[in-house]
Amino acid sequence: MRRPARTNPTVDLVLAAACAIAAFVCLILPAGARSGAAAALRTTLVAPLASMQSNAELSRRAFLSHDTALRVVDSITLRSQRLTGVEEENERLRKLLGLASALKWGFVPAEALQGRGLGDDFTVTLSAGKSAGVVPLSPVVTAEGLVGEVERVDKSLSLAIYWPHPDFRVSAMAADGSAFGIVTGHRAEGASKYFLELHSVPLRSILKAGTLIVSSGLGGVYPRGIPIGVVVSEMKTAEGFAKSYLVRPMVSLPNISSVFILTPERGRSGLENIWNTGVNADSVRKVLVAAGDSARPRADSTVKRPVPAPAPAVKKSP
Amino acid sequence: MSLARTFWLSVVFVLLIVLHFTLRPVLAWRAPIDFLVIALLLVAVRTRPGTAALAGFALGLLVDALTPESFGAGALAMTIVGFGASWLKAAFFADNIALNGIFIFAGKWAFDTIFLVAEHRLQGTDLLVQLLLWSPLAAAGTAVAGLVVLLTVRPVLGAPRS
Repeated sequence: MRRPARTNPTVDLVLAAACAIAAFVCLILPAGARSGAAAALRTTLVAPLASMQSNAELSRRAFLSHDTALRVVDSITLRSQRLTGVEEENERLRKLLGLASALKWGFVPAEALQGRGLGDDFTVTLSAGKSAGVVPLSPVVTAEGLVGEVERVDKSLSLAIYWPHPDFRVSAMAADGSAFGIVTGHRAEGASKYFLELHSVPLRSILKAGTLIVSSGLGGVYPRGIPIGVVVSEMKTAEGFAKSYLVRPMVSLPNISSVFILTPERGRSGLENIWNTGVNADSVRKVLVAAGDSARPRADSTVKRPVPAPAPAVKKSP
Repeated sequence: MSLARTFWLSVVFVLLIVLHFTLRPVLAWRAPIDFLVIALLLVAVRTRPGTAALAGFALGLLVDALTPESFGAGALAMTIVGFGASWLKAAFFADNIALNGIFIFAGKWAFDTIFLVAEHRLQGTDLLVQLLLWSPLAAAGTAVAGLVVLLTVRPVLGAPRS
């Protein structure tokens, strides 16, 4: 290749020398002056380039920290999910503490050990047994209401049945004492089996949807005043002498973790004011007496009305 | 050089400057590619030595503005490299990839050497390690990137001034 023709090398040399001298002067300037000059350039000509460089470095850091950030986000999400469970458990325990302070005495706290096996959905092992004072037929309750009853007792564990169990029976009444009956599990398939039925309600007793049903205390197993559920609707049955109602239970089975087992002495001493269900022993007594009076055939009545069956003492034989 | 080529040379020159302040920080290699040296050499082989020196001085000030501690060192190194490259370009005018690679490699290494000596920041072993290990590695990376740029822009810019 031929060498390029240089029209005026002196100009080039002068330019180059001037640039070199200017650069050298920049180099030997006092620190303050150099910083000032650099700052002046940074804030004017170099500002867009410095901004681009800053953004590029930020992008790189973001790219590098993406995986780490993702792991952190995953961990936080996982912990927050656990936190929800912890908060729910905390809420349950708070309620249970409230129940404990209301009961004051005569109960055994226990943990429900779930997952005993397939086909055994309605029984639960409780972490308290004979050594803790648990006896068969003791009511099992939570802050929401009735869970079931103890069926068998070992030294340190006990087996309880939930309310959907076929053997479960409890004598019940409306919280205002206007109706009595027997609560059992709802015999149905699918999710409906987790409802309850209130049987043997006198025909003259009309229960509205939302009426609270509590244990009546008749029969001696379940003390009066333990919430069982609320009335959903009346059921159509073949029985002609009494009504049946579908009842939504107060206690949701999947949420059961900690329970109280009531001792017989505590049951006998009464639980009317523990759950604030408004059950008053006197008013209930009056209603029972009135029910008995109305059950007698009146002399001036020509119509034979069906006699409402008094709420029987319900409890399966141990 | 025609007006069109001058225009395209300016475009490529600006693009390389932008790459220096965007791609280089993203890559963040220990021996980084110096797109400013590539831009300077691209201009130097197509302009007169005085112009190349001026371009070098301007590019050097861009570098120095972000490193106030060594303000002036980059301008001095770029001025010398630009001027020298423009003077020496006749020896590398052949369209030979290896020669062009060596040209860019030498330009980058020369820049690093002048810069490091002028700024007086590194001394002793550190200076030797930088000059004999990291600067050659950076120069090699810059040479490879420079060849890619040269081959890419050749259809637009044409052969260097002869």
